[in-house]
Amino acid sequence: MILSVDCLVKEYGGFVALADVTAEFPRGQMTAIIGPNGAGKSTFFSLLSGAIAPSAGRIIFEGANITGLPQFRFARQGIARSYQITNLFPRLTAHENVRLACQALSASARGDLWHDRSYHYGLAETADACLEQVGLLPRRLIEVSRLAHGEQRALEIAVALAGSPRLLLLDEPTAGMSPEETKQMMDLIARLATERTVLLVEHKMKLVMGLADRILVLHHGRLLASGTPDEIRADTQVRRVYLGEGRSGRG
Amino acid sequence: MPIVAAVLALLPWVAPSQALSVNILLYGLFATGFNLLFGYTGLLSFGHAAFFGAGAYGAGIALAHYGVGWFGAIFIGVGVAGMLALLIGAVSIRSRGIYFSMVTLALAQLVYYAAFQATDWTGGENGLRGLTVSVLSLGPISLNFLDPTTKYYVLFAFVMFALWLLSRMLNAPFGAAMEAVRENESRARACGFDVRLIKLIAFVVSGLVCGLAGSLNALHLSIVPIDTLYYQTSGLAVMMALLGGAGTFLGPFIGAAIFLLIEDIFSLWTPHWQLFVGIIFMLAVLFMPRGVWGTLAGWYRERRA
Amino acid sequence: MELDLILAQLFTGVALGAVFVLMSVGLSVIFGMLGIVNFAHGAFYMIGAYVGIFVLTLTGSFWIALALTPILVGVFGLFVERILVRPLYGRGPDYPLLLTFGLAYALVELVRVVFGSDGVPFDTPELLAGGFDLGDLGYYPAYRLFVIAFTVLILLVLWVVIERTRFGLIVRAGARDPRILSVLGIDVARVWLLAFGIGTGLAALAGLLAAPMRSVNPEMGVAVLVEAFVVTVIGGMGSLLGGAIAGMAVGIVVSLTSLWMPQMATMSMFALMTLVLIIRPQGLFGRDDLAR
Ligand SMILES: Nc1ncnc2c1ncn2[C@@H]1O[C@H](COP(=O)(O)OP(=O)(O)OP(=O)(O)O)[C@@H](O)[C@H]1O
Ligand SMILES: [Mg+2]
Repeated sequence: MILSVDCLVKEYGGFVALADVTAEFPRGQMTAIIGPNGAGKSTFFSLLSGAIAPSAGRIIFEGANITGLPQFRFARQGIARSYQITNLFPRLTAHENVRLACQALSASARGDLWHDRSYHYGLAETADACLEQVGLLPRRLIEVSRLAHGEQRALEIAVALAGSPRLLLLDEPTAGMSPEETKQMMDLIARLATERTVLLVEHKMKLVMGLADRILVLHHGRLLASGTPDEIRADTQVRRVYLGEGRSGRG
Repeated sequence: MPIVAAVLALLPWVAPSQALSVNILLYGLFATGFNLLFGYTGLLSFGHAAFFGAGAYGAGIALAHYGVGWFGAIFIGVGVAGMLALLIGAVSIRSRGIYFSMVTLALAQLVYYAAFQATDWTGGENGLRGLTVSVLSLGPISLNFLDPTTKYYVLFAFVMFALWLLSRMLNAPFGAAMEAVRENESRARACGFDVRLIKLIAFVVSGLVCGLAGSLNALHLSIVPIDTLYYQTSGLAVMMALLGGAGTFLGPFIGAAIFLLIEDIFSLWTPHWQLFVGIIFMLAVLFMPRGVWGTLAGWYRERRA
Repeated sequence: MELDLILAQLFTGVALGAVFVLMSVGLSVIFGMLGIVNFAHGAFYMIGAYVGIFVLTLTGSFWIALALTPILVGVFGLFVERILVRPLYGRGPDYPLLLTFGLAYALVELVRVVFGSDGVPFDTPELLAGGFDLGDLGYYPAYRLFVIAFTVLILLVLWVVIERTRFGLIVRAGARDPRILSVLGIDVARVWLLAFGIGTGLAALAGLLAAPMRSVNPEMGVAVLVEAFVVTVIGGMGSLLGGAIAGMAVGIVVSLTSLWMPQMATMSMFALMTLVLIIRPQGLFGRDDLAR
């Protein structure tokens, strides 16, 4: 198991956003996390990436209890996330966005007060390699705010790849994308998943069915079901709360 | 950096008065220290008078009460400011955004009240006196500090040394990390930056720079008025940095020049020149938020692109 | 130390606290709605005292001054929001802050131009000039009791407005999430305008009430701005209840310290603030997403 969570709870002043979730994530597998709006999926990711501290419960990553550590420790431990709502350095170039992420995870570079930014060879090259993987290398010197939406989504992934994370958390990477862009993104995710453990939040049910090894279903902050895509498809509870809403709800 | 060095080296020959050029030099350095935090790290402090004042009182007390040499006094001033910045920084960076501005202002007022009370050390309301330095001697060299030109270039040497160190830091990966915090703090944290540590280091370096400006100013004036620590002094750094261009290297010096020129010109025909400074500052916030130098640099970049 | 002396000092603290509460509540109303810190809040307080003096000499009635001053300064606040602050929305919280700082700078000088740089006396209104003999508790100035009572009244009115009226509903919803207002089809700009006016009116009221207790001069706004900030940081930004409790706490701490350690009186509130920041950075009643 690369990651296991134990009785994880997150409350916001009495409102329970995530209730008592216990789950294990095997190394190398891709797990999809699905659930209706407000189910607590993004909250779950915020807990796993250390952005918020749980109200109760434990997070065990690679055998170590990392609950309550500051967020930067999570990142340095090898957990990276992308955001549902694009969250980048908008006035910096695509390259600089990824380079900064590389710098943050390089122990020798990040505290350097003396040498020029170009001194620590390797950061720029690693950054370009990440951009290459998501197909953004030709756009490396464009400011983020001038990139198209689909490109910004791809850059989110490139930034997350910066430190070669062993656990990659992707929060609705296809949000707001055209069908064609969505297809490219799913191909990219499939490629990424061959080399690392991926957790994927995705609204479009069909996409994850063909891709994920395992699926967790969240509903009102509770873990409703978990299993293989086939098991989930057959689960009556899931059909009732998720598929029912999914057909009439948002796409 | 080379531009700043050239401009400041030539300043005594173009400025209308010797006093003005020294003030631009020293207040420019003070605003630069503030700018390190506001312009580069995105933290709007309203308490930088505390570090300017700590530098001034630190150096002044060392000179007046303990008979320390001028060189050592400057070091003591900078050190005191750095220690104070560590303390105030550690408390204030616990709060974010606008809270930060309020907390830094409040803590700086605390320092002001403390200095006001500690009359034995600081001279209280009357300010600290008796620290006239007329000859600077360092090893075999001795310089006449009363000669305006010599004085300017001695101060200039210190300012340049500080600016050189600063420009190294800003061009280094650490400078990039500061920008990351300014551009998007939550993203910087998610990337794996220890945002608190970065803020604290930036805060302390900023305090050291302002402390140097204060120490030099104490030498220059031979007196430390209690107002050095007052709210208005913090506001001075804010206004100068913003008028010139926050987040640019030359901006604070340009801003200091603009502010001091406005003061000089308007005070010729009205004692209420601050009214005009306030109005000009508001207009700058509304219509030229990048400041004079920031706007010029922006135009230049756009025309090249 | 005599117990009655302590009690009398406690009351003085509450009167002082009342001024802090009004200041902090005004700051919080503006912050809660517009998300900006009004650095000119101290200047509005100072203007309140001067406008009060002006109306008082014109009409000779403290009560008319008490009624007119917050309205006049509040209307001035409306213009400030409309003309100076509004163009800055969407540019982050720092620019409105800087603008109001510049405004305060100019206003202080403007008052010097109009009223001169020296302090102006402000006599306690005749009706309230006396004091109460509180028996064992000693002698207590009536004006301070009036300030306490009047502040309680204002807070009650505010509370009713916020809890019981449609405007209050909008304010509460907007403070939680500004986007919800436009979803509900409410003219957000008008709500902001009104909030700024009310906030500045409260500051002016605080200035007028404080005038007979503290000295009136162009610089009087600086100290009180800092005090209001300290109170707001302790109570939690945007929380009216927090502001009220923290205001009282600070007032009491300051006056009790001045009993035992007069030199430490002004500094005690900063110690309190530092303590709160270390234990609870978002303030006693603050939401933790605003400051962490
Ligand atoms: N900071 C917060 N304070 C209070 N409530 C919050 C906060 N953050 C999230 N919530 C609530 O927690 C619940 C779960 O939110 P979350 O963003 O995790 O849902 P989600 O499953 O990601 O939904 P979506 O599909 O819309 O992205 C929601 O009801 C949300 O309103
Ligand atoms: Mg979500």
